Amino acid sequence: MDGAAPAPDGWLLDVTESGDGRSVVLWTKERRSGRVRRTAVEYRPPFLVCGPKADLLDLRRTLADRPNVAGVRLSAGRPSIHDRTVRPLLAVTPASHRGRRALAREIDARGGYARFVLYDVDLSVPQLYHLGHALYPFAPVVGRGADLAATEPPETIDYAPPPIALAELEVRIAGERRGRIPPPDGRVGSVRLGDVTLEGPEDELLRALVDEVARSDPDVLLTESGDAFDLPWLYRRAAACGLSSGEFVLGRERTPFAAARPARSFESYGRIHYRAASFPLPGRFHIDRENSFLYYDAAIPGLVDAARLSRLSLQTVVRQSPGTCFTAMEMATALSLGAHVPWKKNRPEDFRRGDHLVAADRGGVIFLPPVGAHDGIDEFDFASLYPHIMVRNNLSAETLECRCCPDSPVRAPGLGYRSCTRRVGLIPRTLAPLLARRLAYKAALRTPGLPPDEAMRLKRRVKMLKWILVTAFGYQGYRNARFGRIECHEAINAYARELLADLAAAAEAAGYGVVHGIVDSLWLRPLDRARRPDPEAFARRMSGKFGLPLGFEGRYRWIVFLPAVTHGLGVPNRYYGLYEDGEFKLRGIGGRRHDTTGLVRRFETEVLTLFRGARGADDVRALVPRALARADLFAERLRAGSWPRDELLIAHRIGQAPASFVTFTDSVAALRQLAAAGAVREAGETVRFVVLDRRSRSFRDRVRAAELLDGSERYDVGAYLELLARAAETLLAPFGVEHEGLLARWGAAARPERLPYRSPEAGAQTVLARAAGVAGSFNPSAR
Amino acid sequence: MGRTAPTYRQALEERMRRWDAFARLLTTPEERAAFELVRTGARRYAAQATYVGSPDLLESILLSVLTDLAVRLRAEGDPKPARP
Repeated sequence: MDGAAPAPDGWLLDVTESGDGRSVVLWTKERRSGRVRRTAVEYRPPFLVCGPKADLLDLRRTLADRPNVAGVRLSAGRPSIHDRTVRPLLAVTPASHRGRRALAREIDARGGYARFVLYDVDLSVPQLYHLGHALYPFAPVVGRGADLAATEPPETIDYAPPPIALAELEVRIAGERRGRIPPPDGRVGSVRLGDVTLEGPEDELLRALVDEVARSDPDVLLTESGDAFDLPWLYRRAAACGLSSGEFVLGRERTPFAAARPARSFESYGRIHYRAASFPLPGRFHIDRENSFLYYDAAIPGLVDAARLSRLSLQTVVRQSPGTCFTAMEMATALSLGAHVPWKKNRPEDFRRGDHLVAADRGGVIFLPPVGAHDGIDEFDFASLYPHIMVRNNLSAETLECRCCPDSPVRAPGLGYRSCTRRVGLIPRTLAPLLARRLAYKAALRTPGLPPDEAMRLKRRVKMLKWILVTAFGYQGYRNARFGRIECHEAINAYARELLADLAAAAEAAGYGVVHGIVDSLWLRPLDRARRPDPEAFARRMSGKFGLPLGFEGRYRWIVFLPAVTHGLGVPNRYYGLYEDGEFKLRGIGGRRHDTTGLVRRFETEVLTLFRGARGADDVRALVPRALARADLFAERLRAGSWPRDELLIAHRIGQAPASFVTFTDSVAALRQLAAAGAVREAGETVRFVVLDRRSRSFRDRVRAAELLDGSERYDVGAYLELLARAAETLLAPFGVEHEGLLARWGAAARPERLPYRSPEAGAQTVLARAAGVAGSFNPSAR
Repeated sequence: MGRTAPTYRQALEERMRRWDAFARLLTTPEERAAFELVRTGARRYAAQATYVGSPDLLESILLSVLTDLAVRLRAEGDPKPARP
């Protein structure tokens, strides 16, 4: 770090909107005392309206005397990153933060949703304050109030971590185990805050909690499901005990007993997700590990890094997706370039021909791997390939097909999209420092003698940046992404496809054969075992040749590529293998997923432990009979009926609103059971249950929901034998293991005789399958 | 995200559903097993077909099936195709 930087007086933890609607509150932590200071600063940021000058003048007259408008000023500028000419602008300052959107909507409507383009409407007021004052969350600062100044820029890489006091908060309902469904009027029996456990009569306990929070004064309250349970429950009970929101204060100032955002279900990448309501606290951060996608990987060090760069509050970063962080970083870049952030993306996809669409709308190269066990394979991959492609080829909405470079030599392969050669685009400007930052952290991680806590901090930051870099590509193709453009998405894919094809050819020239490849990774086998290419040297040479960092991931002692159930060919992303350094790589098998049933996880672990001893593919094949013996042993224990029930919990994510299910499934039975117990689940939430009798039509007898489990239930042995058989098939299918065969061997009943529903069109397939069954020799998955 | 056109793999599966009717009137196990080989051949070179990005789906399917058969022919006697 620059030795000239002044020693900070403290750290800016957060900026929040003030209740008066016309100022912001700065929360700073003093370095000497460790105390947190609250300072309110008057701040009402304008938003911009762009349109024909006559319309703007007209608008100015209309707004001048309105009570919800504090000021209107005519100016000029280049608001959009696409703008080359100066345009007239009207800066409108709302009288209150709360009226900001309503005023913007009104102006948009007044312009017939066509005449005006609005900018900077939906950046949060704290975000605008940060950007307008060269501040950012967790900045080391000097000065006070409106004169607060950061002592280093947010991009600083080797900054000292800010001191953050953290305390875990956990509420228990009197007479209830955590994780069970509490009765609606369940009293708070005890609360744990850090090392202190509070008990006693409920109203005294709640008061004692407020005192303890104030006394220990943590910066972060860390909970497990605090958004869904702990905080709303505390608020509810506080209200029931007659405490007002002015008395029951968990933040650093009062906040109403209400969610800042309601719970919601949403769809992303074809999956339904659920996000609990959010209960942030003013001046103190509430982090709910359960309600955060990022906390698991990034933890506090990663989240702090993301908050610094995005200028979003830690409480926002923790509850949002990495895409939100990336968008906020793009916004920061846009504002730093003197441009502004459009409220509504107003850039429809260009018209084009059908055959062009077929050519352009394609993903990366994805091979089908050869099913079975292989050895001596070297794996290579490009680090952050897509972001690197965007930076190297200047791919950004405003630099693609620009008017200033008709003869640009930088063109997307096969598609011909030109990149600007005169100015660097918004996306590359945002990404380049992130890539450099990630490389710097990774380099620092290789420092010999690095203290463990420092190493952990760096790893968390690397992980966080990885997520942000991944979303940077996806957001190019997302219709609502503020600075995205579909042609960028297509161009990135085109460059990546070309690169992988070139790399495959270069690998062959270097003495490697391509076994498998996915987008940015290649699995290579030496053409001549006696003359193996040096993988590190190959990676270095290719990095130089293509100008992109290719890394040698490792050599496999063995790797097993798994087939698709439907057609028996390899599946690109389903394999398991053992690197020479003794580490496993697992993809698409149960153990990788969070919600895998304990039984399956245990079986996989045992098989992998067994296979760990294999020196090569032949050894793996030789161990298959022993793996099957393990499966037999599992089956025997399952049949005895004594398998621990918690290892039989099956998790299902609910894909639709519980009321709209039309078939009676295990999940529906569990949902009804929970609803009957007073616990309603929403789409995107997960239900867990043990199957008791899969043939039952009664929701009480079919399954038992995890929350209602007492451990003595009789489970459906057949259902779990089938689960085990399928788990064995997943791992061992390349060696001829099929679940039907295993079930027959265990003498287990096949699936209950309720034929699956088939549409009339699918009739042909059923007939074919039956005929094949009779013929006996026909097996579509045989190779 | 952002996809408008179906992927080659999706288009292929969609087209192959039409082939079910074809398979229905194949009357011997040998024919049906052979037809299954054709299906497998159609699926095997999906990566290469995607890379071409031809607007002519059938051209890609034919190339894939023919290549698969040619590889099998060359490896005569060896039932497992010699895909590197």
